[in-house]
Amino acid sequence: MTWLIVRKELLELRRSPVLLLSMISLPATVVLVPVVLLAWLLKRAPDQALAFVQEFYGVKGSATVAGVASVLAQNWLPMFLVLPVFLPILIAAQSIGGERERRTLEPLLATPVSTTSIILGKSIAALIPALIITWTAAALFCLGIDVIVGSALLPDSSWLFGTLLLAPLLALFGNGAAVVVSARVLDPRAAQNLAATTVLPLLGLLVTQLAGKISLGPRFYFGLALGVATLDVALIAFAVRTFDRERLLTHWR
Amino acid sequence: MRSLIAIETRGLSKSFGGRAACTDISFEVARGEVFGLLGPNGAGKTTTLRMLAGLYAPDAGTARVAGFEIAPGKPGGPGLRAKVGLLTEQPGFYDRLTARENLIYFGKLQGAVDAPARASKLLDRFALRSHADRHFAELSRGMKQKLAIARALLHEPEVIFLDEPTVGLDPEATREMRNVIAELAAEHATIVLCTHHLDEVERLCSRAAFIAGRLLAVHEMSRKELLRIELAQPFDAAPLANLYKSIETRGPVLLIEPLAEVPDIVAALAAAGARIVSVSPHRDALEEAWLQLSKEARERGLTS
Repeated sequence: MTWLIVRKELLELRRSPVLLLSMISLPATVVLVPVVLLAWLLKRAPDQALAFVQEFYGVKGSATVAGVASVLAQNWLPMFLVLPVFLPILIAAQSIGGERERRTLEPLLATPVSTTSIILGKSIAALIPALIITWTAAALFCLGIDVIVGSALLPDSSWLFGTLLLAPLLALFGNGAAVVVSARVLDPRAAQNLAATTVLPLLGLLVTQLAGKISLGPRFYFGLALGVATLDVALIAFAVRTFDRERLLTHWR
Repeated sequence: MRSLIAIETRGLSKSFGGRAACTDISFEVARGEVFGLLGPNGAGKTTTLRMLAGLYAPDAGTARVAGFEIAPGKPGGPGLRAKVGLLTEQPGFYDRLTARENLIYFGKLQGAVDAPARASKLLDRFALRSHADRHFAELSRGMKQKLAIARALLHEPEVIFLDEPTVGLDPEATREMRNVIAELAAEHATIVLCTHHLDEVERLCSRAAFIAGRLLAVHEMSRKELLRIELAQPFDAAPLANLYKSIETRGPVLLIEPLAEVPDIVAALAAAGARIVSVSPHRDALEEAWLQLSKEARERGLTS
């Protein structure tokens, strides 16, 4: 039953060009802006601009180009952790409230399908495109940086850990938050807005790191992975336990 | 041995946020019967139907549907939901899926054996084959409703619940939908028809429960074809006893269960000196019962 729901959700998504476009626009920006900026900085910008960046981030030594690229790439990694939280929210926030808005919830709940299958099916269907897009964007970003620098700078161990392990855990978190909110708030737009607030802590980290105030290292990412994994398990259990079929059919707020 | 009773409810009650939706609903539906749930908007019909379809549990009372128990805290579960078909008030399909894709999806969720074949068969039955590969959003309201009734039949349920099947349909689509229900009735399907259209119940149901927050009465439909003859003044029709099985006199109106053809009755009455104002079929027993019960319900403060 779970895979049946996954297949249906993905089929609907494939036929929703506007939603797909909205999912792709942010990752495209996240890839293009820093790559173009770095290319300009290293190839076209006045020397003072490069010198300022070197000084601001404390890049020293002779390998100026690789040094600046490496610092910017590390600082930009949190943005690729925001994507897997944000992207599934676009789909998952519509999951329960959207069904209700389209009046498909009652026929769905009238079938013998279990609560776990509904939640898992909708979650997996939100995770698959989110991860594919995140990984594709990360691969393009790494490729772009490597081409500009002229060497295989990325992905390094932080990037591999961040995108391959942390991103799926964060995607699960974003999705779980969206499903829980969607099952309680019911209005898909409100659910999307509320669930989207879960990206704020990561955005805060990104901004603070870009401002040169902190430097997030492997220990931070490892700790984050452990914390998010724990939250994921708790969120899924909470989502299944609080999925109230009767409430979904009878409450309008 | 299968019970002859498909549905049995005993004192079903349900409230939402302290407000009673329905109270003390008790009735039985035999296998193969078409049973009506009749009542105004907000009378608790849909709530009753949803409890019987396993969507939620009652606060009080019990029910047995297709052999499955429903009780407070026990809404029947997946076993019950696999045995009943529900036509919801709104068709409720996915706009971006085709009619066929929608049916196959719900058929598989319902556990229908060979859902694609079953979907094709039902698309044929409801004359939707030529629209099967159109997106649901492109279908007319009547087609959508037929597709919804097809969905309710995908898994060959033991009991079919129809919630306002003709609401929002144009006259042609309404007639088509009623024909579909009549066909199902002719196939001895057990159907609970929830509606506020008296003529629908009169045409399709053998019995109907009047609900207005609580069960007011269960009315058995009379299939007698009565003739209503309005006269200019009261007339004693006793000498014409060979023309009718039964007669009821209501002032200048005669309600006749005829034995002879209508023109013969009219001619005999005219020959006997009766001055006939109008002659029409009389099928308003249900309407009268409904009006009487509604009045009583208002007097008891059950409806406004």
